[in-house]
Amino acid sequence: MMKRIISYLLLAGFLFSETRNWDSHSAYLLPQKRWEMGLFQPFRYGYSENLEYSVYPLWFFVLPNISIKKPQNDLAGFTTATQYKIVYPTPFLNMIAKSGIMGIISPEFQLPPMLGLSATWLMSKNMSGLDLTLNSGLDLGIAFGDLDTRSTVDLPLVYHRLGVYYNKWGIHVGADVQKYMTEKIGILADVDLRLLPGFKGNYSLEHKLLISWHKSENFRIMTGYKFVMGEYPYGSDMRLLPYIPMAETWVPIIELQWGKSRK
Amino acid sequence: MILGCEPFVTEFPDTSVAVLYESASQNNSTYGGGNIKVVTWNIRFGIARFPFFGDSCGDDVILDDDTIEKNMAAIADSLNVMDADIVLLQEVDVNSKRTGYMDQVQYLLDNTNLNYGCYASMWKADFIPSDGIGRIDAGNAILSKYELTDAERIKLHLRTDQDGLTQYFYLRRNLVKAKIPALTQGGKELFAVNIHATAFATDDTKQKHIDTYVETLSDIHSSGALFVTGGDLNSVPPGSVTDFCLSDMCASEDYHTDGAEEYHKEGSYFENFEGEPDILLPLYNAYNSAIDSADVNLPIHLTHGPSTSYEINDIKFDRKLDYLFTNGSWIDSLSQTHQDAWELSDHLPVSAVLSAEDN
Repeated sequence: MMKRIISYLLLAGFLFSETRNWDSHSAYLLPQKRWEMGLFQPFRYGYSENLEYSVYPLWFFVLPNISIKKPQNDLAGFTTATQYKIVYPTPFLNMIAKSGIMGIISPEFQLPPMLGLSATWLMSKNMSGLDLTLNSGLDLGIAFGDLDTRSTVDLPLVYHRLGVYYNKWGIHVGADVQKYMTEKIGILADVDLRLLPGFKGNYSLEHKLLISWHKSENFRIMTGYKFVMGEYPYGSDMRLLPYIPMAETWVPIIELQWGKSRK
Repeated sequence: MILGCEPFVTEFPDTSVAVLYESASQNNSTYGGGNIKVVTWNIRFGIARFPFFGDSCGDDVILDDDTIEKNMAAIADSLNVMDADIVLLQEVDVNSKRTGYMDQVQYLLDNTNLNYGCYASMWKADFIPSDGIGRIDAGNAILSKYELTDAERIKLHLRTDQDGLTQYFYLRRNLVKAKIPALTQGGKELFAVNIHATAFATDDTKQKHIDTYVETLSDIHSSGALFVTGGDLNSVPPGSVTDFCLSDMCASEDYHTDGAEEYHKEGSYFENFEGEPDILLPLYNAYNSAIDSADVNLPIHLTHGPSTSYEINDIKFDRKLDYLFTNGSWIDSLSQTHQDAWELSDHLPVSAVLSAEDN
């Protein structure tokens, strides 16, 4: 029975998959043989109509990571997909566990081998000109050795992403709304909630608002802000990002993205 | 959104209001007259003799919560035994990664016979991206059995021997001053003043710190009020040895040789500028010291030995850095350096009793 369901899901995915450019957070896959990447976004590649994969190439050698996105069958008028991510953060974390400047983690800690696994369900739909995407998923953090809880990095964005390794599991849910005001100008707003039940500092809420200008199919530029609030070991905190410490000021995100379709 | 733009590193104006504290339950908070006992103690943020990277030959930064709790309980027990009316504390953490985010001012108020406190940060940042320090809020505190008012943080000069980036993330030292109305003596108001002067500056920053300190005390004295004051002055007394570079030297370090990266070790050398060996003379000349200047270099009055000195060189304490002064009168026979507290910090508490009759 289970085999039949899985076969059906794969088949349905094959039949109903939908592709789009510039929609990394949605259930839509990249068209086959198209790639996209940005300053802060991963390299994504439409391997086929049924498989998109993405990696952060600059980080890959110190923070091996890969994710794949697969289409699923439509549900209640929503295009759906699943995304699976695997990351091995240990080499990077041990690089920043050091004495002196950029010693983000105290050098007395040696991080054990760890594996982060994440599965996300994505649902997208166009509603009156708005592209809406809902997502939810489960995160698992597996440490193959003793992980000292004092080695956490208690910073917005970072604490809850790494928290899953200390808490062993977490949940994430979120929503994205995208609207094209003109053919070339769009607005993206999203909100993401990360929950780490039982963990000291058990949630974070992230919100982003970006305005994008699509120069062409091959290039777009985005600007906006990210806001993060949550509970941390030291209490509640919030921060508008990007923030430049020495200037003590917020500056807008500037994100450049490139894409191209291979013939 | 506006709150989301609060400074990453907190800077302070020349003077600002110190943070006031109160214990969870009051305990003998009414002064019935009599002498007033004062203690100064650099408690090294409750890490006792932990081999911390910054001030000893250790490599460690973050102590575990259970040990912090145990150390703080031992410090609270010591303070209860001393039974002081006023306690001047240096190196107190209130919300720091390295000490499990414990509010040590509140902890000491809730676990001692002291009822009121005021606190002034000397190092407050969302994140120090160096040596794994992370979030930090550490500073000086005045604790008292009796209510504190007019609590003020007075800024001390920043070091000028650092590059801009280091200075941005570095300590912003201060002295903290408060009035204790209940302890007014014969119409004279009583102030407590607590200082933690620079330890590692190689320029004349320490002179500027002492100058600000002397000026603050002079203003109180001129107004006709009394003060009890002290702290970790990071200065040796007149007549003391001034060079501890070799005894403080760690295994991987090299000083006093031509090939050494730095000839003297920061924090271990007390002749960085002209007049530094006698930097405390104005205090000794103008006010009364808890430990008489003639006895101040005696072994029983030494207050400091780096945390790892005992393991490396069999030295428990080899210099005096911690002081108490008043413009009133101490009862000389009751002044004491509490060397039995050696295990609880790299500094030892000094206590003295202010005479109620002579003021």
